[in-house]
Amino acid sequence: MKLHGILDEQSALALDAPWFIAELEPAGDYGRSVFAELCAFVPGEETLAQDRAQRVAAFGARMGQARLELLREILHTMPDARHAVATAAMGDLPDDAAFLELLRFCDGAKQIDAHLGDVDVEPCADDAVRTLGADLERGRCGRRGFYLDDAFDPQLAEARVRLDETAAEFEAARGRLAGAVARQLGRDEPAWGEFILMRGDLLGGVPSHVRVVREAPTYYLCELELDEASRAALQRRDEAAQTVAALEYAVRAKLAGRVGERAGALAAAMRRLGELDVLVAAARFAVRYRCTVPAIVDRGCIDCVGARYLPLAAELERVGASYVPIDVRLTGVAVVTGPNMGGKSAGLRTCGTIALCAAFGLPVPATRATVGLFDRIAWLGIGVQADRGGLLSSFAGEVVRLRDLLEDEQRRMFLLIDEFARTTTPHEGQALLVAVIGRLRQRGICALVATHLSGVARAAGVAHLAVRGLRTVPSRPLNGDLAAALEALAAAMDYTLLEVGADDPGQTDALALARLLGLDDELVAAASAALCDSAAKAPVHQARSHVDQ
Amino acid sequence: MPVGETLLDLARRDGVRSVFVVGIAKNVGKTVTLRALLEAAYRVGLGVAVASTGRDGEQVDVSDAQPKPRLFLRPGTILATARALLPASPACEVLDLSREQTAAGTLLFVRARRSAYYELLGPPTASGMRRCIERFQELGAEQVLVDGSVDRIAAVCGGNDAIIVAAGAAAAPTQEEALAQIGALVARLRTPAYDASAPALHHAGALTAAGAAVYLQARERRQIVVRDPTQIALSGKAFCNVAARLDLRCERPLRVVAATVASIGRDRSFEPGAFLRAVAAATGLPTFDIYADASTAA
Repeated sequence: MKLHGILDEQSALALDAPWFIAELEPAGDYGRSVFAELCAFVPGEETLAQDRAQRVAAFGARMGQARLELLREILHTMPDARHAVATAAMGDLPDDAAFLELLRFCDGAKQIDAHLGDVDVEPCADDAVRTLGADLERGRCGRRGFYLDDAFDPQLAEARVRLDETAAEFEAARGRLAGAVARQLGRDEPAWGEFILMRGDLLGGVPSHVRVVREAPTYYLCELELDEASRAALQRRDEAAQTVAALEYAVRAKLAGRVGERAGALAAAMRRLGELDVLVAAARFAVRYRCTVPAIVDRGCIDCVGARYLPLAAELERVGASYVPIDVRLTGVAVVTGPNMGGKSAGLRTCGTIALCAAFGLPVPATRATVGLFDRIAWLGIGVQADRGGLLSSFAGEVVRLRDLLEDEQRRMFLLIDEFARTTTPHEGQALLVAVIGRLRQRGICALVATHLSGVARAAGVAHLAVRGLRTVPSRPLNGDLAAALEALAAAMDYTLLEVGADDPGQTDALALARLLGLDDELVAAASAALCDSAAKAPVHQARSHVDQ
Repeated sequence: MPVGETLLDLARRDGVRSVFVVGIAKNVGKTVTLRALLEAAYRVGLGVAVASTGRDGEQVDVSDAQPKPRLFLRPGTILATARALLPASPACEVLDLSREQTAAGTLLFVRARRSAYYELLGPPTASGMRRCIERFQELGAEQVLVDGSVDRIAAVCGGNDAIIVAAGAAAAPTQEEALAQIGALVARLRTPAYDASAPALHHAGALTAAGAAVYLQARERRQIVVRDPTQIALSGKAFCNVAARLDLRCERPLRVVAATVASIGRDRSFEPGAFLRAVAAATGLPTFDIYADASTAA
């Protein structure tokens, strides 16, 4: 999956792209090659992206999870036979392991076609695959093996019989000799390889047909010396072995020729298998995460209902919690406000990954969605670590990244800004953010801007989406149990994202959250008093806080 | 009974189906021991599978260009070898293609159809070797023989595998030093299981000389427990000193069943009978000299 055109490295990490890649990765070698070349659709290719998403969803619905897993299992166990085909096409001789790879490839392609049934997908096993499978069938050995069997060539069968006979003759001749030597030495074991004779044990000297390899003061290191009959038998065996080797070579050459003749068709079949593997992985993703086909339109927008951010949803599911889907309607630029831990960043990620799925022609994790294609999806703010060493402060790092993003003259960009300028003075940060939004609108960039800075939507004149926030203030758990506090927070938090008026200050809940997470009451009360004091002096646009109530 | 059969018989006691031959150094007779076990297995009609944690069976050692003992395998023997080492002729049955990669290509499981010399090249990792042994057994091997190395046996061996230790003149300049080495190695590999009812200190990872020094300084009286004996990264005299002063134990004991000797080395040789007896005394194990067809086994 080629992300670098649409996502830079930092944005890919912010959007958990590795998680999506792992989920969409095909099971087999052919699929992985096709997957590695997969590019995002760009604006203007809406119909192609839409068609692909529909094809993925239809295939997933037709096959169902169980059959998709079965196909993946077959694809996973299929060896990569491309090297064997290329070798044969170039006139070289594949080895027997390569013929086994080819046999398994033919088997796998036929198995997959059988499982696909009448699904509207081009068959993997065409004539070339079936004919090669039939050619190699004579070498099938057991259920999963391959052997250059006698059935390939009657002459080979005869030559092997001759080899076995001559080998047996030689073994017998050498065995007689080794046995005779062992008897002379009074040993149980026939003398094979190198062996030691103690000088003190040799009353009549070294026995005949024993060659001394090395002499030591107390012993000889020896080996068996073949007699004339054994040498003659050895020669006959070696000649028979040479004949077998020549015939085995000829059989391999013949088989290689058949592979080479069909190399183009076989390579095309392997490509089809790879494409099928990519389709199976995408369909499995769509089925597993209940994705829907988006309407892909020729304008920069995200309009979705029941949208989920899958990596977080999966993590919550692991701990027995559930993800609250959100609805977002975005054209142009919108500001997102809300309390800490209310899901602002998750909302941004949800929109980013929905745009990313649509860009790759995939069904999206939402119950309904209308999405545009973007040339680039970029993330700015929390969650992005610029690799610029320690020379820049976090604010400076963000400014440099913003400068780089604005310099990018991509035709259509989707920008996700998470708490930009949070680390500088609030009034300057707000002014800067308002100016940035102005520039984005001027450039026609689609953007979602999460911030705690007040009054940005009003000042910039853009839509304002707010997280509803805490329904009630949960009680602080006993003993400061953090897990229990987080559980209570999740239960009390309303993650719904609503479009509110530009002047709506939204809800913050920071002090309630601080108390829930264990800050002492005295400290929180002091903060609350300070907040009331400042509200009395500057009451305009003060955010609602549960601590005030 | 020929020494190879006695050795195999000893290794197979209590239903053990895989035997590792490890050496104290290079050229101490591991492959010769493996060959004797193979011949014995053929004679008693066992279905054998053979593998190596390194490379074995080649005519000349790739590291020092010296001749090496070759492996003559009989029809029906299953072997694990790298793709590039598969002989072109006589053709073998290619039983399975593994996902393990070696320096010479994919690891294959093949069955010899004809007697010939074969080369072995094992999986590069201990977990790969364990999978290799499991695959051998799935393919019907009754006896698995592995030409092993001390540093790789830890993750692959357990109470159900037997280990044979090979010692030879090539390992040390003097017989005394060779004996000290094999004695310490066998003592280390035979580190006993810990007693769960007695105080114990579980040492994570390898127990090095520096780690042992800390325990010695603290006059530690509890059992010092490592995962398995090869986690004790001490050899020779250092091991003997530490073992004498600390109660070294392990969670997964190994099963060392015998020793073999090669009294002949390229640069020196020891008196065969004396070396055989001395190794038996130093290790407390039944000891075999394949070259001299002799053993101390009763």
